[in-house]
Amino acid sequence: MAFFDSIGRNTVGGFAYVGGLARLSGRAAYFTLIGPFRGKALRWSRAFHQAMAVGVEALPILSTITFFVGLILALQGAYELRKFGALQYVAGGVAVSMTRELGPLMTAIVVIGRSGSAFAAEIGTMKVTEEIDALTTMALNPVQFLVTPKFLAMILMLPCLTTWADFMGVMGGAVFGVTGASFTFGGYVQATLDALLKRDIITGLIKAVMFGAVITAVGCYEGFETGGGAEEVGRSTTSAVVMSIFLVIIVDLIFTSLFYLLGR
Amino acid sequence: MSDPNSDKTLSVHDLRVRYGEREILHGISFDVPRGETLVILGGSGSGKSTLLRTLVGLQPATSGEVWIRGQDIAKMSEDELDETRKKIGLSFQGGALFGSMTVGENVCLPLREHTQLEESTIQIIMRLKLEQVGLAGFENYMPSQLSGGMKKRAAVARAMAMDPEILFFDEPSAGLDPIIAAGIDNLILKLKKAFRMTIIVVTHELASAFLIADSMLLINKGDIVAHGTREEMQNSTHPRVRQFLDRVPEPEVAEEMDYLQMLTGEAPPKAL
Amino acid sequence: MNIVTRQQGNSTLVDVQGDIDLYNSPEVRKIILEELKEKKVARLIVNLTGVRYIDSSGVASLVEGLKVSRTMSSRFMLYGLSPAAREVLELSRLIRVFEVYGTEQEALQAK
Ligand SMILES: Nc1ncnc2c1ncn2[C@@H]1O[C@H](COP(=O)(O)OP(=O)(O)O)[C@@H](O)[C@H]1O
Ligand SMILES: [Mg+2]
Repeated sequence: MAFFDSIGRNTVGGFAYVGGLARLSGRAAYFTLIGPFRGKALRWSRAFHQAMAVGVEALPILSTITFFVGLILALQGAYELRKFGALQYVAGGVAVSMTRELGPLMTAIVVIGRSGSAFAAEIGTMKVTEEIDALTTMALNPVQFLVTPKFLAMILMLPCLTTWADFMGVMGGAVFGVTGASFTFGGYVQATLDALLKRDIITGLIKAVMFGAVITAVGCYEGFETGGGAEEVGRSTTSAVVMSIFLVIIVDLIFTSLFYLLGR
Repeated sequence: MSDPNSDKTLSVHDLRVRYGEREILHGISFDVPRGETLVILGGSGSGKSTLLRTLVGLQPATSGEVWIRGQDIAKMSEDELDETRKKIGLSFQGGALFGSMTVGENVCLPLREHTQLEESTIQIIMRLKLEQVGLAGFENYMPSQLSGGMKKRAAVARAMAMDPEILFFDEPSAGLDPIIAAGIDNLILKLKKAFRMTIIVVTHELASAFLIADSMLLINKGDIVAHGTREEMQNSTHPRVRQFLDRVPEPEVAEEMDYLQMLTGEAPPKAL
Repeated sequence: MNIVTRQQGNSTLVDVQGDIDLYNSPEVRKIILEELKEKKVARLIVNLTGVRYIDSSGVASLVEGLKVSRTMSSRFMLYGLSPAAREVLELSRLIRVFEVYGTEQEALQAK
């Protein structure tokens, strides 16, 4: 009984959580899309700084990770494919897996670790030190001031990062292609381009945008939900990372199923 | 401004506030006429900060009304509330400076966000305000590089940035050395004279309170114990007021058994 | 608020009428700086007789005027401060920084 009880409670809690995320996203969307027409200026310069922090500064680690992921994919793929003497399909396999799935996902994971946690920590600290209250008393809406620039930055940067991740993954695959599977570099790239459909890239980018929204919403929401005390900021940060990974996977599942059904 | 109540810049009726189940303020009422200074006194935890937070609309009231400049804040739309907030300033007990900005940027922020002033004008205003709180030359410091007292003064400068009509101070001089604290008192008196500002100050410094107050309010555990002019408070014979003004410590726990029970956790402390 | 400039001998007078606050101090600033920088007037006298209230942005605008007048080596004077305006300048310890006169006559005759 207690088990079902706790499932029930968690389900209710889960809905409340998602409701909170939706409300926050809705308000951020209002300030992004409708606010500017009502005299509430968009904060492009803040968004730009966020975009630099989210995007450009993530490039080294993201490049390294996705390069290796591409290489791993090629190795794993080749392990099966060589049984059928079909090693020439490695390039296509890597390309499709990267663009449709692992490019967006690995980007999301890196961004969660770097930026999602930072959003929660930043806003959580501001909550604890009453800086959020200070914003409010100065007639500066905290969502407009803090969250909107982050949303803008994330929604713009995640597709860019994902595209780069796809590219680095293909490069990783090419290393195996050239050294382990008798491709020339040019031949590997050609095989990649032949295998990729525009649809593969677009579905990946749609996922990336959704992931960006989820990560921002969770990071900021956890920040705003921070109670009193510095240790609470640590708790918010941790739970922002865990919840973001979980929700990114759920969103990924939903969109992958959708694309699967639509793509038949 | 045609409202007959508009000479009362701030008006509070039977205000009750609770955090969760626990009621912190049990029906507070008072008025502050335009241009006057109200000093709120009371022991730690008596609800002074909560009162200030409620007055500026950070904390919703459970019941009762807060009228600012002739308008009930509970009935204001978000935009109206923001318009009102541009005309009030609050310096938080802990400063609440934005840690990611320099002291100067903290002071400039409301001016940059809410006015069309040229950047050069904003910079001069910022330096004027920092000079007034004795922080001239500190505009490029980060808040983390300031001492606690300096943070407080920077917070005062930020609260004054827009020349508000109503200024709230939460313990502005707690932890400041006596000379700086006297400087803050002096500033409050000058602000009142120069801008006819309405000022509400929470403080523990009795000397300062009697220097700056037009009227005083003594709160104890969420209730108003006494409210009157400076002279009325000075001459009050109310035991609580005398206790506070004469700095008499809380009476010792009378019943030894109660004390034992309190220590062993068998009974909740009665004082709450 | 209303601003008019007029010429009196070698002095330019700026008459300000009404309150100077956050919303209209940019106009005061603009006119003062225009007279000093573009018209390069030798003496600029700001008449504050009609100003009941001046806020920090107004004071800041006057400070800018004073600063520019120094770089242009022209004179910058004030007269007719209301008690409140005087109080505001005193609060900022500026009353001795500016050249302040009681009346137009005094300002015009100042050496
Ligand atoms: N956010 C909060 N949640 C729950 N209780 C609070 C909160 N803030 C303050 N309190 C409680 O309310 C009471 C009054 O606090 P406060 O208004 O800060 O007192 P003061 O400023 O007079 O020292 C205290 O007992 C405090 O524990
Ligand atoms: Mg307090």
